[in-house]
Amino acid sequence: MREGKQSDQCEPFAALTSSVAMPPLKDLEREFSEVDYNFQQFCASHGILSVEDFLVHDLNVLVAFAEQHPTSKELKQGITRILSIIDNHHQPWLNGMKLLEDALQNKHVLSTGCEGIDLLLQGGLREGQLTELVGPSSSGKTQICLEAASNVADKYMGAVMFLDTCNSFSPRRIACFLTRGVSPSSKEDKKRSLERVMSNIFIYSVFDIFALLGVLQQLECKWRSQVYTRDNQVKLLIIDSISSLITPILGGNGANGRSLMISAGLLLKKLAHEHSLSVLVTNHMVGGEGGALKPALGESWKSVPHVRILLSCDRGGNNLYYASLLKHPTVASGQAVRFMIEE
Amino acid sequence: MDSATELRGWINGDESAKEMLERVLTERPLLLLPPLHRVPLRVGNVVEIVGSSPSGKTQILVQAAISCVLPREWNGVYYGGLERLVIFFDLDCRFDILRLSESLKLHIMEANRSSSLNNGGPSEDIQFDEELFVSCMKRFLYVRCYSSFEFLAALKTMHCQIQKESEAHGVGVHFLMIDSISAFYWVDRASAMLPIGVHSIGWIPEKASAMLPIGGDKRKHISLQSVAETVVQEIQKLLCVQPMLVLASKATVFGDGSISSEAKRKWSSGETSDLKTSRMNPQKYSCRDYMPSVWQSFITHRVFVRVSDDLVDSKHQTMPIYETEWLLPPLSFLDKFTVKDAGIFMIA
Repeated sequence: MREGKQSDQCEPFAALTSSVAMPPLKDLEREFSEVDYNFQQFCASHGILSVEDFLVHDLNVLVAFAEQHPTSKELKQGITRILSIIDNHHQPWLNGMKLLEDALQNKHVLSTGCEGIDLLLQGGLREGQLTELVGPSSSGKTQICLEAASNVADKYMGAVMFLDTCNSFSPRRIACFLTRGVSPSSKEDKKRSLERVMSNIFIYSVFDIFALLGVLQQLECKWRSQVYTRDNQVKLLIIDSISSLITPILGGNGANGRSLMISAGLLLKKLAHEHSLSVLVTNHMVGGEGGALKPALGESWKSVPHVRILLSCDRGGNNLYYASLLKHPTVASGQAVRFMIEE
Repeated sequence: MDSATELRGWINGDESAKEMLERVLTERPLLLLPPLHRVPLRVGNVVEIVGSSPSGKTQILVQAAISCVLPREWNGVYYGGLERLVIFFDLDCRFDILRLSESLKLHIMEANRSSSLNNGGPSEDIQFDEELFVSCMKRFLYVRCYSSFEFLAALKTMHCQIQKESEAHGVGVHFLMIDSISAFYWVDRASAMLPIGVHSIGWIPEKASAMLPIGGDKRKHISLQSVAETVVQEIQKLLCVQPMLVLASKATVFGDGSISSEAKRKWSSGETSDLKTSRMNPQKYSCRDYMPSVWQSFITHRVFVRVSDDLVDSKHQTMPIYETEWLLPPLSFLDKFTVKDAGIFMIA
C-alpha cells in the first residue's frame, strides 16, 4: 500500500491525469507543520500552489531564492518536506530480483482452453499482461474470449469480468464449451458445475469510453482498499471489443481522443500488474483505402498491448482459423498456428 | 615555495594530452553496444532509438542492460561486461523481466561454456552460476510510471536513490534507460488544453469550465512542453553528478488523426502481413519529430529501427530481421540483426 494522502473519491476522470491525486499545498498544512502559511506564501510568489507545481519547477532555483529570504531555514525545511512527499508519488524502485520474484510468484499463465492460441502463446494468457486479438469480423475473436472466460472460471476458480460493448456475450456458448469433452455424467453434476462457472463470470454492459473508464476506476478504488483471498480474485478481464469504444472518439484533429485511449490502456495495464490479472481485449478491422482491411485501432494504439495476435478465418469454412503473433515480449513474432473452434 | 617554480608548475599544466586521453578513455570508455556498435558511445551521450512498435527497441535496451550489469570477469571466466548499475524507467508499462532474466542466464551459460572449452575441460558439467546471476539482476534498478507526474516525481527524487544503491553495490550507475519517452505524449498534449488547476481534482467537464485560472501568470502550465523541459533539466542535473549514458526509446507517432500517405499506400496494397511494421522512410520521421524542441536538442545520437521485409530461416521457424540506421550522426550503413532467445545477433 502506498503512503501519502490519497483521495477517497472515485471520480472516473482522475485516471486521466494522475493515478494518485496530488493535493494543493494548503491541504498539507494540517499534516505537516513545515508547510505553514509563510511557506505557502513563498511558494505562491513563485507560482507554486500544489505539489504538482513543484514537479515542473527547478528546485535548485527555488532553494537559491529561499536562501535570500529571512526565514530561509524554515523554507528549506519545507522544500525538503515537499520532496519527501513527492517521493511517495511514484511507484517503488525495484531491482531485477524483486521483479523476477513477483513475476514468478504472482504472474501465472492462464490457459485459454483453445489449444492453438495456448500453443502460440506458450501456455496462454499471462497475468499482468494485456493481450489483444485483432481480426476482421467472424475471425474468432469473440469465440476465443468466451472460451477463455469459461476456461478460467472453470479451471482456475477465478472470477472473470466480461465488459460487453456490443452484446456479444452468450451464456449458451459458455455452456457449450463447458459440456464438451466431459464424459457423460449425471444431469445434476452438469447443472452444478455450470452454475458454479456462471456465477464466476460477471458481465458489464459498457457502451462508451466514459463508462469504461468509470468501471475501471471503480475497480481500482475497490481493490485498493480490499484484501482478498487468492480464490475469489478476478483473474481475467475481457473487453469485447475495446475498439468499438475508442474509435468513435478518435475522429478529428484533437489530442483528446488519443489521450483517453492511452489513459484507458495505462489504467488496464496498471490493474493487470497490481492485481495480477490478465486483460484480453479485441480490436476489429475496418476497410481502409482501396478496400483493404486495417485494424480499427492503429498506429498509436500499437504501443499499448503486451501481446498482439492477428486472427483470420479460413475461407474454405470447416471452422478453421489462423492466428499469428504480431508482438510478444518473449516469443519471436511471426509465428502462426491453425486451429479449430467447435460449433 | 618560490614563485618561479609555482609559475612553471602552472605553465606545465596538469597532464599531457596523451595522459589526458588515457585517463578519459579509462574513466569514460567507449561503449560498443550491438546493434548500436557502428557509433562508439560514451557516458554523457543521449541516444534516442526511434521506431514503430514492434521494431526491437526494448530488445536493444535489454541487450545494453545485460552488458552493463555483467562483470568483466568473474571466477576466472570472461563476461566482458561493465559491472555497473542500470536505471530503467518503464513508461510504456510493458517491460517483461522474464525476457531480461532468460537472456542473462543464456549469456552467463554461453560464457561459461566457451571458457570451459578453452581450458580443455569437459563441456557437459557446466554449472549455472546462481550467485553471479543474482548479483547481476540486483544491479538492474527499475521503476514503473503510469503518468508524467509519476515520471517527474521519480526523476526528482532519484538522486538519493542513486546514492543509496551506489553505496550498497559499491559501483555507480552507468546507463539510464527510458522506455519510451513518448509514452505520455497524447495525454500531456491533451492536458495542456485543460484550464489550470484541473489536474489535482480530476477532470469533470462542468467543473472545468467553471474553473478560473488561479495563481496568475507565474504559474507554469503543466503541459507537454513543461514536462519535457523538466525531464531534460533533471537528467542534466543528474549527469553532472553521475555521468551516465542515456538511452531513450521513442515510438513513431502518426500526425493528428490522419494516417500518413505512406500508411495509406501500405494498407491499400492489401497485405495484412504488413501489420507488423512497414518499411518506412526514416528521413520522413526525423523531420516530423513531434517531441518538444527542448528534448530534440538534448539528443546527441539518434538511430532508427524497423522491421525489414526479409526473414531469416532458422531450423524451426522464420524470424523477422530488424534494421538499424543512424540518423544522428547520419550514416549510410544499414545494420541488420535478428532476435533470438539469448538476445540480439548481427547479420553480416
